[in-house]
Amino acid sequence: MNKSEILHMSNNKTDTMNNSNILLLCASPRRKGTSAMLLERIRSVADGGELLFLPQKGSLDEIAQAMQNAQTIVISGPCYINTYPARLIELLERASSIGGFSNQKLYGIINGGMPYIHTHRHGLTSLQLFAEQNSLSWQGGFVLGVGAMLDGQPLEKHIRRKKIAPAFDLFIQHIKKGTSAPDSLYEQAQVPPGKIVTYLFSKLLTVMVEKRIKNHGCDVNEPNWY
Amino acid sequence: MTVIISDESKERWGSALEKELLQSGTQVVHFIANAINVEPCTSCGSCGGKTFGRCVIQDDMQTVLPKIVTCRALVLVSPAVFGGVSRHIKKVMDRMMPIADPRYRVSDGEMIKGMRNQKILYHMIGFGDKLSEAERTAFISLHKENCIIMNVKGRAFILDSNSKTDAIKKIANEVSYE
Repeated sequence: MNKSEILHMSNNKTDTMNNSNILLLCASPRRKGTSAMLLERIRSVADGGELLFLPQKGSLDEIAQAMQNAQTIVISGPCYINTYPARLIELLERASSIGGFSNQKLYGIINGGMPYIHTHRHGLTSLQLFAEQNSLSWQGGFVLGVGAMLDGQPLEKHIRRKKIAPAFDLFIQHIKKGTSAPDSLYEQAQVPPGKIVTYLFSKLLTVMVEKRIKNHGCDVNEPNWY
Repeated sequence: MTVIISDESKERWGSALEKELLQSGTQVVHFIANAINVEPCTSCGSCGGKTFGRCVIQDDMQTVLPKIVTCRALVLVSPAVFGGVSRHIKKVMDRMMPIADPRYRVSDGEMIKGMRNQKILYHMIGFGDKLSEAERTAFISLHKENCIIMNVKGRAFILDSNSKTDAIKKIANEVSYE
């Protein structure tokens, strides 16, 4: 199937599917991780949407094409060193050079290990700049802290489940209605932990990490392998 | 020694910086990110467990990482792309996990991580043509967050594409540590 045929098919699809034409794009190399879980949650609540995984090798042109054909795009990915993984940046660069966007609605989700919004927020800022520079319509996003620990488990297992799960479900309602999601949604659901909790949490996580490394027969105090 | 990792696919500021640093007598190792073979991190978790501190992907990062762990200063030079670094530079950054300290610590009341080479100076240079205020702010905030999470110090610079050699000379002065 050549490009124009794909385009033709999706144009027909657009005509018949109207607002249900939502592309859910997972920017994580892990197919069963937290990024994918959040998209599955959107798919079940918003009643549909096509879930695509960013291929980790080869051309990204098909995904860029799918982005153009969608009316709403939701990108969910992990936070690697304060922003999205390289492969998503590559997609955004590619999609930007192909161009041809026409006011597609873009939502972003980024999840990371730290319990702070500022640690992960850059990912959303990047998506917003991408949208503004390429004629997409930025509709806001959701930052999920302490998301890595979930490892794909539902939000009901999140350490802040009581606030996070309802906040994320409100975010889904914005996607469903096509309205802009305010930052306050995720900000209010994640107040930074206090001094004692911070101290205990970092101790607990460190013990867990050291145990894991020890179980593999390695020592955390070893000098750099390289 | 200073390690420069630059994306030279658009403009060659990394090479310009290398030249300046060499002239001032600094030892430099320069990797051109768009010319080396670096696969994306697969988040396999091996460097945090089974092969602690070591990446299982056999590509050019196996040459880059030994240089980073022994350097005094690391300078990333990238076109400012959507307020961050380019795909070439980000690929290298994502693969730095094996040389990070997996333990948590508390600094300024917040949980942070760190590098196992704590003495590293970490600088970022972003360049572009007519960058907006939002792009500049985002680029600088990425560097700031990187410094927090890696528990390192350093500076971020924005270069206009029309900048002359003087600008890179000034940056070379600012990033030299002797």
